[in-house]
Amino acid sequence: MSEGKILLVEDNPDDVALTLRALKSHNMKNEVVVAKDGVEALALLFGAAGQPAMEELPAVILLDLKLPRINGMEVLQRIRASERTRFLPVVILTSSDEERDVIDGYSLGANSYVRKPVDFVEFTEATKQLGLYWLLMNVAPPAPRRP
Amino acid sequence: MPLRDRPIQQKLTAILLLISGLVLLLTATAFAGYQYWSMRRTMRDMLAVRGRVMAANSTAALAFADVTHAREVLSALRADPHVLAAALYDQDGRLFATYPADLPVTAVPATPGPDGYAFARGRLAGFQAVAEAHGPRLGTLYTASDLDAIYDTFRLSGMIGAAVLAVSLLTAYFLSAALQRAISAPILALADTARAVSGRRDYSVRAPPAGRDEVGVLTDAFNQMIEELQRHATELEQRVAERTRELEARAAELLAANTELDAFAYSVSHDLRAPLRSIDGFSQVLLEDYAERLDDAGRDALNRVRAASQRMGTLIDDLLKLARISRAEMRTELVDVSAMARDIATELQRAAPERQVEFAISPGLKARGDAPLLRVALENLLRNSWKYTGKAARPRIEVGLVEANGGRAFMVRDNGAGFDMQYANKLFGVFQRLHSADEFEGTGVGLATVYRIISRHGGRIWAEGAVDQGATFYFTL
Amino acid sequence: MALLTALLASLLLQTGPAPEYQVKAVFLFNFAQFVDWPPPAGAVADTAAPLVIGILGDDPFGPFLDATVRGERRGARPFVLRRYENVADIEACDILFISRSEAKRMPAILASLKNRPILTVSDADRFAERGGMIRLVTDRQRIRLEINLEAAQAARLTLSSKLLSVAAIVTPRRR
Repeated sequence: MSEGKILLVEDNPDDVALTLRALKSHNMKNEVVVAKDGVEALALLFGAAGQPAMEELPAVILLDLKLPRINGMEVLQRIRASERTRFLPVVILTSSDEERDVIDGYSLGANSYVRKPVDFVEFTEATKQLGLYWLLMNVAPPAPRRP
Repeated sequence: MPLRDRPIQQKLTAILLLISGLVLLLTATAFAGYQYWSMRRTMRDMLAVRGRVMAANSTAALAFADVTHAREVLSALRADPHVLAAALYDQDGRLFATYPADLPVTAVPATPGPDGYAFARGRLAGFQAVAEAHGPRLGTLYTASDLDAIYDTFRLSGMIGAAVLAVSLLTAYFLSAALQRAISAPILALADTARAVSGRRDYSVRAPPAGRDEVGVLTDAFNQMIEELQRHATELEQRVAERTRELEARAAELLAANTELDAFAYSVSHDLRAPLRSIDGFSQVLLEDYAERLDDAGRDALNRVRAASQRMGTLIDDLLKLARISRAEMRTELVDVSAMARDIATELQRAAPERQVEFAISPGLKARGDAPLLRVALENLLRNSWKYTGKAARPRIEVGLVEANGGRAFMVRDNGAGFDMQYANKLFGVFQRLHSADEFEGTGVGLATVYRIISRHGGRIWAEGAVDQGATFYFTL
Repeated sequence: MALLTALLASLLLQTGPAPEYQVKAVFLFNFAQFVDWPPPAGAVADTAAPLVIGILGDDPFGPFLDATVRGERRGARPFVLRRYENVADIEACDILFISRSEAKRMPAILASLKNRPILTVSDADRFAERGGMIRLVTDRQRIRLEINLEAAQAARLTLSSKLLSVAAIVTPRRR
């Protein structure tokens, strides 16, 4: 059992609630950190004025694309641009399956792209699979040396 | 180079030369012929005259058997170097005397022939009666002359003639080369102008005016035509410029519209689905967490809520797909329709292995169009057939090519539920369904998508069917 | 040469008088072509009058002369043959052949014929010198002609120059 944290970047509170519930239903005890938008996400990862960065980097980031202020692609870009977070697994979790978004996502270095189904049962199942894979099966990149 | 392709100047010069050459040749030949005939006649006459004189002189010699005198008389022929031989025969036709005196007897005829002179074997020879006026025939004179005189004169005339011919031909050549210009110059000018117009598309040139003959008429007409062309070209250019402006404006509009559509589709993907997810999700939460506090009706209601939202999701997806069809870029290539159909058939069979459906796909079906779009269309059609043969006893789906409406059309046929032809015009409407949801599931977008795809290929699609007897869809590309 | 052959041929083929006289007969006949007689005095010239060839003395020609002149004409004048024994018998005659048999009486004959327009021909010796007009001389298989032009001219006979050209002109010995 991995103790890795999950960073969920999602602006829709309903979706947040449902995702948390889904994760809980599969007895995943991993801590889930929620960022309501891109700015918060970046602050959590890199720190910002008046807010230190997360102590431990998450094991996986579940990233929505349609975010206010800074959108998902930009966040991804920043994540990949930083030495600290370059290898962090990022799963794009979004409603869109526009080809453009898929291509952009992979181009910017996302590890995976999952479309959120409307059907909650399906959604729960998808979340479970994501969790299983990224937290248990996937070997996380080594934590970078803290400055 | 065939005669037709040779330049006009050459042709004219050649014609003039040919005619003058021919005329000269004919004249020369006529003259030569006449001269030859005349010469022969003169020669014969002269020989005859001489013969008569000689015969008159030899009468006594023959009458009185004076061989010496006969020889003397004949020797007068010495004066003419062309005389080959002469002989006198007595009354009985026996050889009497010859010239030259030592001529072998075989050089002259053994006996005299009939009177008269003739050309034979390269010499002129003949016999002349020797007799005193009113007297009996005393004997015959034979003279033979070679034809060198004729040949010499002929040779001389020939050389003169050839020289004259050559000079005349040369003169004719130069004259014709100079004179043909009068005809060919305006034609060449016209040809040049024509080349300028057709080669450089320069409509501002004009052919130089060329008198009032037919070439002049041609030139004038030609110039008029160029003017017309110029005018038309200018008009066309203007019109094209106008149209281009219009088209550019239209394109800009379209581009704007497309961008809007893009943005729209994009929003839809996210914004419309999110609330649906919430609806479905929290309904499920209710079902899970408050199950004991809900009665059957309550549960049923929530299930319906869930079903409705999921359906809405599907509808949104289908609409999105349809929107994408309309704005996708088309790339035309040769598509193996048979292979595509077989592929889709295999997929369908794999997805539902419990169903036994017979597929009859004609081999070698080919079409020109956008491969991915055609695949979507074919998938929709085959998925439909697969769906609607769900209740058939021995389901069979055919894909082939038929003759229809004076051309050839692709055909997808099944022996499934079919449809009432009465409602055929509603088949391709968006969200139009001819069956209820509990008969067959579906959103009613499938055929609309196919219709949109076929339209984008510039083709036609139509259908035939009967209730419970299957349906056939025809389309052209 | 051919003449020789002809003579030899006739020699072999025929008997009778020497072919010499055949040739002489032809000559006699041919003379008519080369001689012009003066028109008879007084009367209108009768161009159809027979041309008389007479033989005075022995006839040495055999059948030849008859054969040669038979049916022939000079112009419109038919040839006629007459034989005479005496000079006095001669009336109209154009050509007279005086046979060698009359050689002794030659001067008298010629004298009586003098100035008469009769062409006198003979093969007697020295005929031309004596006043005869044409002598036929047999000379080595050839028959030559000797012509006394004065005698002919005296008889007002015109001899063709062609005839003269094949003959030897003889001037009579002045006695």
